[in-house]
Amino acid sequence: MQALLPFFQWCNDTAIGAAIRNSRVLFPIIETIHLLALTILLGTILVIDLRLMGAGLRRQSQPSVARALSPLTFWSIVTMLVTGFLLFASEAMKSYESPPFRVKMVTLALALLFHATVFCSAVKSETLGRLRSTATGIVSLALWFGVAVAGRAIGFY
Amino acid sequence: MTLAGFCQWLQDTPWGTGIRESVWVFPIVEGTHVLALALSVGILVVIDLRLAGVLMRRQPVSQISNQLMPWSLAGFAIMFVTGALLFWSQAVKAYGSIFFRIKIALLILAGINALVFELTLRRTVADWDHDETPPFRARLAGVLGIVLWAGVIAAGRTMAYNL
Repeated sequence: MQALLPFFQWCNDTAIGAAIRNSRVLFPIIETIHLLALTILLGTILVIDLRLMGAGLRRQSQPSVARALSPLTFWSIVTMLVTGFLLFASEAMKSYESPPFRVKMVTLALALLFHATVFCSAVKSETLGRLRSTATGIVSLALWFGVAVAGRAIGFY
Repeated sequence: MTLAGFCQWLQDTPWGTGIRESVWVFPIVEGTHVLALALSVGILVVIDLRLAGVLMRRQPVSQISNQLMPWSLAGFAIMFVTGALLFWSQAVKAYGSIFFRIKIALLILAGINALVFELTLRRTVADWDHDETPPFRARLAGVLGIVLWAGVIAAGRTMAYNL
């Protein structure tokens, strides 16, 4: 981690990071957008996962559910990454010291990797086996909710 | 007893004090309140977007709604229980917060929006179930639902900043 310290310091020193840190309202506004995007991201992921697990929208085909919701998932991920980086830049040195922040970054990397590979190919398939489909839904839920739990914990610890 | 007096009494009860001062209970209850947003509002947004004629336009409205609403309602049940526990522990702060008052007002409006929909349009759903673009009032109910719940979330989040 020591090797990353200059990067954290650089983020902390950016003009935008300092501007957010020194403003009374910018952080709450960005944080609120982050939270609204989280609602959409987890909501759409949850619906697709429920379909994968056979617990929701069973009368619709798997690919049709994924096709309808993927754009929302994608743009909420983009919004979360942008607002998340801004929040991070405003308190990068604090984040460096935070165990939940480290857990969140590792979980986020795993969630994005899983999403772009296993998840995205699974949801397009009409013929995925019951076991693989359920397992994909469970792993996806666990990873994304793990990111959210760790993210919430940053504010507490 | 005044409302302010009631809030003071409530948060001084053993349960109120216990939740507020516990190292683990408050973060767990608060964290659950935030994560249940995905289940409650997150899933409701998908249903509302179908109602608004934006998503899954080829799928019957009632099918989307009937299959997803139980999950959303389970989420709202979690929200109300955890929200009540949070209020219990911080009633005085909530009472004094303008954002809490805005949140409650928006919650009531969201409730009225849902109730009006259930009592009127829901009864005629068979007539427009397959419409790719539902009637104006159904679309309005969908959009209003999304806007009001976004407001509830924003007010709830802002409340915690003591602005």
